[in-house]
Amino acid sequence: MGFDNKGVARRRFGRRKGCRFCADSEIKIDYKDVRTLKYFVSERGKIVPRRISGNCAIHQRKITEAIKRARNIALISFTSKRTIE
Amino acid sequence: MRTYETIFIIRPQIAGDEYTALLGKYKQILADENAEILRCQEWGTKRLPYIVKKQDQGTFVLINFNAGNTVVKEFERRMRIDDAIMQFQTVLLENGLDLNAPESAAQTAEDDLDEDDSEQDEEQD
Repeated sequence: MGFDNKGVARRRFGRRKGCRFCADSEIKIDYKDVRTLKYFVSERGKIVPRRISGNCAIHQRKITEAIKRARNIALISFTSKRTIE
Repeated sequence: MRTYETIFIIRPQIAGDEYTALLGKYKQILADENAEILRCQEWGTKRLPYIVKKQDQGTFVLINFNAGNTVVKEFERRMRIDDAIMQFQTVLLENGLDLNAPESAAQTAEDDLDEDDSEQDEEQD
């Protein structure tokens, strides 16, 4: 019960159990889809690790590839959460 | 024949007729190489998340095409020479292009928020 204040900090990554891409096969991982990718990037622009994002190995790999492609063509920043939108 | 997807960023100073001419030129290059253009999306001028070629803005264009691998080489060579093109990236689409696939949008983002809230409640119990 003493966790009330931590709720806000936790919410940043939303401790989700299980891989959301496995749960819903409708969601496709695409490097152009900045809104989805943003969820897996920290404030500093780092890729959120699997233990926090909850992704399975296959989907984490795809997310990583997508983020790197998006960075390369200036859709998302290398060093912050800034995107083209 | 393979399906490719190229995004290139044009200098923001290039607009109007100049821009249309440039786009036509690159479409013509693909046509000359016997590539089949599947889709051409113009995203317009956007603020870039980081500085590219001393510019903080850029005009994005997305082109999907069917072609052999030599075509990509020539297409990229021409873009590399052109000063008007700030950055480009070509990606091979292994499963081809599904033109009927819906554009992912605000819908997914809203779902995320809802789910976060519910999970947070669970943890607090």
